[in-house]
Amino acid sequence: MNRSRQLVVLLLLTVLVLGLSVSAVAAQEQTVVIGFTASQTGKYNVESTRQINGLNLWLNQVNDAGGITLSDGTVVTFSTVFYDDESNTDRVQELYTRLATEDNADFLISPYSSGLTDASAIIAEQYGKIMITTGAASDSTYTKGYSLVFQTYTPASRYLTGALDLLASLDESAQRIAIVHENDKFSTDVSTALNDYALELGYEVVLFEGYDSGATDFAPFINKIQEAAPDAVLGGGHFQDGSTFARQLFEKTVTPAFVALLVAPPEPSFSELGEAALGIVGPSQWEPLAQIDASAAEAAGVDFYGPSSADFHDAYMEAFGEEPSYHAAGGYVSGLLLQKAIEDAGSIDTQAIKEQLDAMNLLTFFGRIQFDTTPEAHGLQIGHSMMYVQWQGMADALDKQIVWPPEAVTADALYPIGGE
Amino acid sequence: MSLTKLRNPGLWITVIAVLLLGLWPIVTQRASTREEIFTVLLSVVLASSLNILLGYTGYVSFGHIVFFGLGGYVGLYLIIVQGWSLWPAMAAGGLAAGLLALLLGQAILRLRGSYFALATIGINEAMRAFINNFEPFGGPTGLSLNFQTYNAYGGAANALWLIYYIVLILALFNIVLSYVVKTSKFGLGLMAIREDEDAAEVMGVITPRSKTWAYVLSAILPGVVGVLFFFKNGNIEPPQAFRLHMSIELLVMVMLGGFGTVFGPALGAVGYQRLRGLLLTSDLFKNIQLAVAGLLLLLIILFIPAGAVGWIRRRFPILRRYLP
Repeated sequence: MNRSRQLVVLLLLTVLVLGLSVSAVAAQEQTVVIGFTASQTGKYNVESTRQINGLNLWLNQVNDAGGITLSDGTVVTFSTVFYDDESNTDRVQELYTRLATEDNADFLISPYSSGLTDASAIIAEQYGKIMITTGAASDSTYTKGYSLVFQTYTPASRYLTGALDLLASLDESAQRIAIVHENDKFSTDVSTALNDYALELGYEVVLFEGYDSGATDFAPFINKIQEAAPDAVLGGGHFQDGSTFARQLFEKTVTPAFVALLVAPPEPSFSELGEAALGIVGPSQWEPLAQIDASAAEAAGVDFYGPSSADFHDAYMEAFGEEPSYHAAGGYVSGLLLQKAIEDAGSIDTQAIKEQLDAMNLLTFFGRIQFDTTPEAHGLQIGHSMMYVQWQGMADALDKQIVWPPEAVTADALYPIGGE
Repeated sequence: MSLTKLRNPGLWITVIAVLLLGLWPIVTQRASTREEIFTVLLSVVLASSLNILLGYTGYVSFGHIVFFGLGGYVGLYLIIVQGWSLWPAMAAGGLAAGLLALLLGQAILRLRGSYFALATIGINEAMRAFINNFEPFGGPTGLSLNFQTYNAYGGAANALWLIYYIVLILALFNIVLSYVVKTSKFGLGLMAIREDEDAAEVMGVITPRSKTWAYVLSAILPGVVGVLFFFKNGNIEPPQAFRLHMSIELLVMVMLGGFGTVFGPALGAVGYQRLRGLLLTSDLFKNIQLAVAGLLLLLIILFIPAGAVGWIRRRFPILRRYLP
């Protein structure tokens, strides 16, 4: 009888201990809410969707791996809350306020585009929420005195400057450049910075012209390019106008030795231009071709964090059945940076994570990441650099190759265009 | 205009309805509600202003947003570049919009019907192209406000509440102004123009002058709220300042509530924006919110073309006194 009573007591104790430990584990789980708006409708739909796909891929991978364990043993997993911003600023502040106050988002990710990010960053700062921006290249967002907004993209002021470095490495005698750009905020910011950099390097800017968004006839600009006879043409704007500009340059047999255009050339569909795409250079935030992994970090003397380019590429292909664009990579890396900061801080406290982001200097598959910590431009991306791609090969079988910077090159640059 | 007209219960019903709506976030102190109602009140001001031209005078303006954008640009330029405070910048934004309407009115109000409507679209596009190339306003890059600017107003949180109070006051003021205009001799002249411009002229209405002043009146407050919206937004760029889509939404609000009435545009603005807001944040509809909003608008316009207030006034004549 005694023996059976002892057994019952032992069993009860076991159940109690097990119950306590289960409840202790349950108490140590926490779900962190990430809030953002996505352009499910409107003109940014494609880019924004890819950005969100990238973010969701990161989130699923972290959650599937069991989350992040903080220094106090709490296991953090992630969930998202998002709304459609319709690709315009009207309701961005309303929706981000809702995310910060009603949905209790712990961290915020920016919408796609600099204009929408500008409007949302005020709300992030006002409610003391860390915001990782992606798809927002404009420099001006980070010169407004914010302390909690961090940029993943290379800023607009450095979008095309590498193309001039590439030109200088290819031809020291090239002196005359023409800049023809779309007259919108992003392209003008890029082109103004490019103009300043060209003058600094001693180039002569023989033409600096803007064309209206939606332009379809570039004949007046091409005539001016013909008259100015530059060694290189740089500029462009977005996909549609950039493609048309490249095609009309080819049709009018105006082929400067070097052409670098914004946004359009890295897109796979740019190759549909055939011979007109041959030799055109374009800046890209990230390319699947780039082999960025732990060995690259070792060479650069910094830590590597996250998956390699190849791993990200394969995981994205498997999840979404399409090639990841740099928008998708940007979305993924915005979550990855948050993950790294949380791991290093060992907590989800805003101030602790801000300090980790301020101190961050590492290499990811997306490239180098480091933020400006001066009050004048806090959060501006100073580590990441653009890659420059060029379409090479035969007109009916074009290949996209990385031609700059030297550490990422996959093929020598074709120069001059149409040359031997 | 005698003060006895201000005793009309319909006016005060409208004012109290908007006031109660505006007080809701102040009582609850919920920032997200404040943001939702801010969007609604902004639309009340814009739609009621447009109604003076569209509803009373019968001139359809597709480009009314030009005054909102120009006011915003002038105000932000004065705040950012010239270091002005918000108050005089608001006044300057309103004056600039009014001045533009005065100058334009001399020229385009001679046009009638669809010709006038087309001209207003052209003006909006021309202004956007002009600002896009106007360097003092930042050209295509626009103007950006430093976050520290809000410190002069007690920090960003206080500034957002301050802007909200101002928009609420402007919305109430605009409703009273709409009523005063409607019940004045000037307003009767405008409505005579709407019904038959030639007949109105024969009856002694000086139509060019009346139309121009209606245009100016309908432009000033959009200019003022443009300053407030972009001050709150933190930056201004040509595509968002002169968004034709927003002009069309304003027309929908006025038509939805009932054009030519005082209560109608306010009701249309509240109904339209609340509907869009609810659909955007509803788990059920947020992925198809534009399609649902479009369908609902189509049904409303098909079955109650005179707008909600117009329909009620026709169906229940006894209520006309309460729905001006």
